[in-house]
Amino acid sequence: MIGVKAGPRRGSTIARAGLGWLGLAILATVWQLLGMELHTAVFPTFITSLVAAWHVVTSSTLTTDIIPSLERTAAGFLISAIIGITAGMVIGHYETVRDWTSAVVDFMRSLPTPLLVPIAIVVFGINGRMVVVTIISAAVWPILINTANGTSTIEPTMIDTAKTYGLRGRKLFLKVVLPAASPQIFAGLRVALSVSLAVMVVAEMLGGGSGIGYFIANAQQSFNIGGSYGGVIVLGCLGWIFDTLFLMFERRLLAWQRGTVGGLLDV
Amino acid sequence: MSDSVLSIRNLQVSIQSRDGSMNEITRDVSLELKEHEFVSIVGPSGSGKTTLLRAASGLRPPSGGEVIFDQKPINDVPKGLAIVFQEYNKSLFPWLTIGKNVAMGAAEYSNQERAERVEKALIQVGLSGFATRYPWELSGGMQQRAALARAMVSNPRLLMMDEPFASVDALTRNHLEDVVQRLWDSSTFAALMVTHDVGEAVYLSDRVLVLSARPSTVLAEIKIDLARPRSQIETRRTGRFGELVAEVLERVEEAGRASVGIEDTIQK
Ligand SMILES: Nc1ncnc2c1ncn2[C@@H]1O[C@H](COP(=O)(O)OP(=O)(O)OP(=O)(O)O)[C@@H](O)[C@H]1O
Ligand SMILES: [Mg+2]
Repeated sequence: MIGVKAGPRRGSTIARAGLGWLGLAILATVWQLLGMELHTAVFPTFITSLVAAWHVVTSSTLTTDIIPSLERTAAGFLISAIIGITAGMVIGHYETVRDWTSAVVDFMRSLPTPLLVPIAIVVFGINGRMVVVTIISAAVWPILINTANGTSTIEPTMIDTAKTYGLRGRKLFLKVVLPAASPQIFAGLRVALSVSLAVMVVAEMLGGGSGIGYFIANAQQSFNIGGSYGGVIVLGCLGWIFDTLFLMFERRLLAWQRGTVGGLLDV
Repeated sequence: MSDSVLSIRNLQVSIQSRDGSMNEITRDVSLELKEHEFVSIVGPSGSGKTTLLRAASGLRPPSGGEVIFDQKPINDVPKGLAIVFQEYNKSLFPWLTIGKNVAMGAAEYSNQERAERVEKALIQVGLSGFATRYPWELSGGMQQRAALARAMVSNPRLLMMDEPFASVDALTRNHLEDVVQRLWDSSTFAALMVTHDVGEAVYLSDRVLVLSARPSTVLAEIKIDLARPRSQIETRRTGRFGELVAEVLERVEEAGRASVGIEDTIQK
């Protein structure tokens, strides 16, 4: 059964990936033509921007800005994941904890990030640590809320079964709650990943001291048009790399879900 | 008393509903389960059978009375007690293969012994060769057999089953009843099964208890004196089988009438 299906399924995946690249190519062409048509310094063509992006990655900017940004995003995202998943499972599993924390969570998650950056700068200064903390302050919520939802909707029979086989406390959370809630957890993680990237840029623009966001803001302020478009392209590529890695990871871990009700039949 | 595996004494369970009021589900249920005895509890749907089993197995604390398993009062699911749940599709872990699901029941053994036990249990329920499949690749009847294998893998002293075959078709149900009967015949565990299928209760049991509607009490106890081993065709053909089914049904009907009476008074 599975062998028979693999052929067409793989085919359609390749076809869809091909369509994705085609869309990208069309966008690049439109950008190129528009840039050539407008012929203005403030809107360089796609190829000019691509060359600028290449200069950005091959210059010292790689070590002074791009790698720090990568590290901050990864650190902020991973710490958010650990805090969000742990707290989310506890909040979702115990009804009393849920009742006590729901108002706090609702308040905290609705604080806008631009408001938090100045506070973080005051507390941590202009550095990478401030960026990481700001990322966490925004990225932890989608993970926490999705994990708590996933946990609170686990079938009671599943928890009963686990208890019957002697799973208690940490084992219960690791062996049953975590995998049972993992589809929702991954949905939260994916949102948190794009939030992490966006907040990284904003925080670095406002006071990172270094990083790709800082670089772009600087390029804009010093009328380095090529540099700022190049930076944007580099940023887009970073996002794409993170998302691709994430999806590979998710597909491995959620492979069991393929055949279950509501599972991703077509991955 | 000393040869009793499980004794449930004046068990009472009330559940707090959303508005804070207490809902009495089980009023007063007592039962002694002897070594290697097969007892069924039949009761109308919603009469609190699942609630009763959860309290009797230590999954939830009772509001009154006590449960003694193996001479010890229980306050948690004790070792030696295995449970097959009503909803097998929510009880097997979908992220684990059948083999790993069954191995859950044998966590306390060494790797090698666990592997042997898992294999033996899968053979017993006719699922050898399915260890590497995922639950969702199996039919409903096969999933319930896997759940049965998981319960049997640790050689329990007591097997509790909550309407184990309620959600499979009639032919599969007959087949699964015989799987359970064979396991029980070839082993030493005692079994406590909850069901709303009177024929099934009579076919498998030594004794059948009839539960009243909510709040439930034990209305009647019927001894099943059919010869063992039993067979779906031969046993069900005998006049005695029909008599016993009719006797239990009569008591269940009484339970139903009693509950209608209660509803009438509530409406007035
Ligand atoms: N956690 C709970 N909170 C509130 N009420 C509950 C809870 N669990 C069960 N009940 C109530 O207890 C009653 C009995 O439920 P239970 O599941 O024990 O019945 P049952 O006899 O197993 O039914 P069925 O034959 O349909 O499986 C139901 O009316 C249900 O509404
Ligand atoms: Mg039930």
